[in-house]
Amino acid sequence: MKQFIKSKQLRIILIALVIIAGIIMIAVKGFNFDLKYQDTQRVELYIETKFNTADIKQITNEVFGNQKVMIQAVEVFEDSVSITTTSISDEQKNNLVTKINEKYGTELKTEDITVQNIAHTRGRDIIKPYIVPFAIAIIATLIYMGIRYYKLQTAKVILKTIGILVLAQILLFSVIAITRIPIGRLTIPMVILVYLVTLFGITTRFENNLKKKNLEEAKSKK
Amino acid sequence: MKKIKIITIIVLIILITMVSFFGVYVHVQNRMEDKVRDYELDMDLKGARYVRLTVNTGSTDVIKDAEGNEVQTEEEMTDEQLAENGYTKESVPNNAEGSLTAENYEKSKKIIEERLDSQGVGEYEISVDNETGDILVQIPENDYTDNFVSNMNTVGKFQIIDSDTQEVLMDNGDIKKVNVMYGSSSSTTSGTAVYLNIEFNKEGREKFKNISSTYVEAENTTNTTSENTTNTATDNTSAENETVANETAENTSNETVANETTETTTKEVTMKIDDQEIMTTSFDEPIEDGTLPLQIGSATTDQDTLQDYITQATTMASVLNSGDLPIQYDINTENNEYILSDITSTQIQYVALAVGIVLLIGLVVFVIRYKLNGFLSAIAFVGLISVYLLVIRYTNVSISIQGIVGIVVTIVLNYIFINKILSKIKKSEDSKNLENVRESIKEGYKEFFIRIVPICISIIAFCFADWTTISSFGMVMFWGAFLIALYNYLITATMLKVKAEK
Repeated sequence: MKQFIKSKQLRIILIALVIIAGIIMIAVKGFNFDLKYQDTQRVELYIETKFNTADIKQITNEVFGNQKVMIQAVEVFEDSVSITTTSISDEQKNNLVTKINEKYGTELKTEDITVQNIAHTRGRDIIKPYIVPFAIAIIATLIYMGIRYYKLQTAKVILKTIGILVLAQILLFSVIAITRIPIGRLTIPMVILVYLVTLFGITTRFENNLKKKNLEEAKSKK
Repeated sequence: MKKIKIITIIVLIILITMVSFFGVYVHVQNRMEDKVRDYELDMDLKGARYVRLTVNTGSTDVIKDAEGNEVQTEEEMTDEQLAENGYTKESVPNNAEGSLTAENYEKSKKIIEERLDSQGVGEYEISVDNETGDILVQIPENDYTDNFVSNMNTVGKFQIIDSDTQEVLMDNGDIKKVNVMYGSSSSTTSGTAVYLNIEFNKEGREKFKNISSTYVEAENTTNTTSENTTNTATDNTSAENETVANETAENTSNETVANETTETTTKEVTMKIDDQEIMTTSFDEPIEDGTLPLQIGSATTDQDTLQDYITQATTMASVLNSGDLPIQYDINTENNEYILSDITSTQIQYVALAVGIVLLIGLVVFVIRYKLNGFLSAIAFVGLISVYLLVIRYTNVSISIQGIVGIVVTIVLNYIFINKILSKIKKSEDSKNLENVRESIKEGYKEFFIRIVPICISIIAFCFADWTTISSFGMVMFWGAFLIALYNYLITATMLKVKAEK
């Protein structure tokens, strides 16, 4: 049993299961996009004074309940607040205005507040700027790997590197899909992190193999 | 001596740490001002200019003659004047109903993206509402933001028209690319001149060749007989903002003679961008290379003026290169505002605190495992982070979320590196022997850096990316890797070697 747990097969089975589950999740529910990248609605309220985000958060929690909310200060004086959420009904708008007026002593009128629709940002637009830098980085890395580890067979090294890099990213996105981690500002940093860790792991592995190979060669020469 | 050396290095580290984490405060006009440069934060952490482009719903009054042709008039005509001339006035929507399609909204978005890219906007977010056509753009707030914004909804309609007949001779479809060129001025004014170089495509090149051979000054000579005549031959070349050169030849005679009159007729073209006249000109000779260099402003030696011209030319080039917007968009002040990031400085401080706590635990582990060597390395580690944070600030590296990840990765890499060296020293036969320490450091360097070569290659590639967030990561990591190599060689290794000295 211990051997099985440590075995390569178990790892492969686990990875395959995670990927399959990820694919199913993506097919059924898709990715969970962060509020910043979803279709949203936004209101802006001039509260005439610098505000505390926690106070606004308390109000939005009361008004919007479980809806995700993004609170931002507007312009340099930070005396207006921008509230973005998935949708804002007339009732919610009224409540929000009333509560803000109560809290800050303002005289905002519901009819003066417009709800702006914000269209979602597409996933491909988020990743587009990263494609070329990553492609260049990977190609340059593969060239280095091919040269450095030629004793381990260049083609094999390159294919293994590509395979592991791709697999690691698929695994990452499967985990993101399964755990419903929102696709947002932290996704690309996660991709970069996984890329670097994978690269470090692959290089360490190849270095060890190269060391072994050199030792074997030295032994056989003797 | 050994102790003095180590204490000196530790004091130095403490000083740098104080400067890096707490700053250097100087009394300036009744307040204390930190003289250490602040971090340059990117759009995600600082905030962005939110610009909403809304589809223009206005209309323009167009005057048409009896045959339905558009009539160009400088003056506004009254209803009576219109009736007298047999003209009619029609209100034409600025955006034809048929043009308001999802396809055109998408095309507009792409054109705006191209414009932002060509103007070197390193980071932006853009989304389009396929129902209303509204486009929301988020761009970083800086000195050039207003220029980028004003350029977003410029339609970018390029036309070369016959000055007399108003016939459109060339348009955007004839342009291959537009670039900005500099050169020393050929005119009497010394300095550098900025040119907007319009390069035409194959079809455009042919058209332009024909135009440049057709729209020339032509001299028509006629013979007349008259008495006491004054003949005037005038050669006019006019271009906007340029001096009109007049050459007048005057022949006066009191006798009845056969006079030769030379009249110069000039066919001119007018270049327009977004219906605004840029220049009116004729050509001296046919232009066969298919390029039209237009000087922006006049030659100057003043750097600020030159920069203004370059910005103007770059803006124009980016507009013309991206093609004309199929839809007219409006930007009003309400839809053009700076909104701060939802990530607050307190949240960033929490992240820093969490990293700090984890690092502290890691350094305690160093001390427990490697005793005095671990303690010295831990002190040096803190020094490295301090120097690193100063380097990031003084090299103008913009910090993004990716940049923060880069800082964390650097800290982790340095931890792995120091741990490797310390464990090698510990494993060596005599860890207090200077030679063994030297050898362990050398091996540690070799083993570690050979393993991070692929990471370094990727980092360098990321450094050159146009996209700020990825280049931020690249730059942060570049300085990190550089400092891991240099700082540890100068400080950590020195401390360990001094400690091993007899």
